[in-house]
Amino acid sequence: MIPLLIARNTFREATRDRVLAGVVVAGLALLALTQAASSLAMGEGRRFTVDLGLSGISVLGLLVILLTGTSLVAKEVERRTIYNLLSRPITRPAYLVGKWIGFSATLWSVALLLGLALWGLVVLRGWGGQGLAVLEAVYLVGLELSVITALAVMFSALSTPVLSALYTLGFYVVGQWSNDLRMLAERLPKELGMLLGTVANLVPNLPLFNMRTLAAEGHSTTWLHLGLASGYAAVYVACVLCLATAAFESKDFK
Amino acid sequence: MKGIMQTSAGSIAEWQTADRPDPGPTVPDPGLAVCVRGLAKHYVHPWTLRVTRGLEALDLDVRRGEVMGLLGPNGAGKSTTLKLLTGLLKPTHGQAWLMGEPAESTASRRSLGFLPEQPYFYDYLNGLEYLELAAQLSGMQAGTARERARHWLGRVGLGERPRLGLRKYSKGMLQRLGLAAALVHDPELLILDEPMSGLDPFGRRDVRELITEQRERGVTVLFSSHILPDVEMLCDRVAIMIGGRLTRVATVGELVEDGAQAVEIRCAPGALLELPKHWVGLVSRTQRADESVFRLEDEAQLADVLGWLLQAGVQVRAVTPQRPTLETLFLAAAEAERERRSA
Repeated sequence: MIPLLIARNTFREATRDRVLAGVVVAGLALLALTQAASSLAMGEGRRFTVDLGLSGISVLGLLVILLTGTSLVAKEVERRTIYNLLSRPITRPAYLVGKWIGFSATLWSVALLLGLALWGLVVLRGWGGQGLAVLEAVYLVGLELSVITALAVMFSALSTPVLSALYTLGFYVVGQWSNDLRMLAERLPKELGMLLGTVANLVPNLPLFNMRTLAAEGHSTTWLHLGLASGYAAVYVACVLCLATAAFESKDFK
Repeated sequence: MKGIMQTSAGSIAEWQTADRPDPGPTVPDPGLAVCVRGLAKHYVHPWTLRVTRGLEALDLDVRRGEVMGLLGPNGAGKSTTLKLLTGLLKPTHGQAWLMGEPAESTASRRSLGFLPEQPYFYDYLNGLEYLELAAQLSGMQAGTARERARHWLGRVGLGERPRLGLRKYSKGMLQRLGLAAALVHDPELLILDEPMSGLDPFGRRDVRELITEQRERGVTVLFSSHILPDVEMLCDRVAIMIGGRLTRVATVGELVEDGAQAVEIRCAPGALLELPKHWVGLVSRTQRADESVFRLEDEAQLADVLGWLLQAGVQVRAVTPQRPTLETLFLAAAEAERERRSA
């Protein structure tokens, strides 16, 4: 009950922010742009539209996280609005979980809105066979954004908005390269390889959520992939929120 | 180790050894609204390891249904105490109970209404939405929360424009909203940090009325304030804090009676009388256009001085005891504490 109330309030805050409206408009503009530019893609208009559309959803989602999500808790502490919440019968874990649910719901809404626009475009252009692949890819982008949001909530609970944005961006970038890091770790001397391997395992395995190339080629993914990605996201988010809670529990609000 | 890591505000070793052991998990008296035992808050700088003492070994009891004022200059530890009670700060030592529940448990905050100092709110919400949220977070169902939110918005004079965004609220309006949010779920215990700050005289009167009304309902009120006349008017008891320590807890009456009782004798204008030498320093005279005023620093001299005046044929118009104000006593206590520390 309490996490859902916090979540509703976080959702309300995010959706009343102009940043979000700007991002949705930018996403729709990007889709329109793909149509204007697809004639220059030399027969690859379908691939171009789907790939750029899905990448746009992912990058714009990340932008919302960096601009708003990374100050989600820090801003409440700085503005002291958190006093009005934590002096009520609310546990700190419930507060953080509520923040994560609310912001994730916002990002899912954006991803869904832009994803449906992309799907509509694909269907309108007569590339209906790709519809399912687009929806699957949007689902995976939603999972990816939820994972990044958990990291943003954790850093935001422990740090300033600027540092938290930098840490989140760092985890996102390294997470995108996590498979390559694992491969590199195998070729390095044992100790260094172990260190790099550990880093690769600690950052989120973001390639797991990337089926943009597959969708652009019109291929769906398997249920196993979707299930694995969902399970991994759930476990990763739970671990990150547990860490965040452990650190947030002893925090003083001066 | 003691003495090795001396700092300006104390040392880690002192910090670890000076305070009494924690009193344990059992509430000393479940009948108290607020019970504090050995509560201390020390801040350690992460780099220099300097220890700053925000609050020292506080013992405080607030009875149910009582209005208690926390008085003290800036940095006295008032806000630290209130934040420790509301779970916003974690104590270094000691324990506190609210309505019989440990202050660190969420159960203790079910019957608590808290107004922080200079409250800030979500400016993307309107007044009604905010109060609804506050009521629901305190455990009310959605329907009841909406009804209570409307009631309290009206009660604090903000009901005419319930959908006005909080970013358009003035400072006084925000303070009223904060009070409404503290009261919206009908708490049994109210903790208010500087509730009168930022309010004009009308706002202060309204807050006084609200506190009085809550006391009549049986609600316990603990509040900090710099505005001494308000404290005098509202409080059953006053706790004076200075430099992170509790220096005195007493009723306003007790505090006032402790001071020396000065007396003022107002007389009709007449011939200038010379005060006997043995009264110099104890009795002073002020000559005004329409009267002479004799001020006695101690009422023990009253009979002698009156006798002397009447014998001299002076027409005495009034004899008025001059009780010290809470402000005078408070300033004297602060001065005494400063002298004690410098000694």
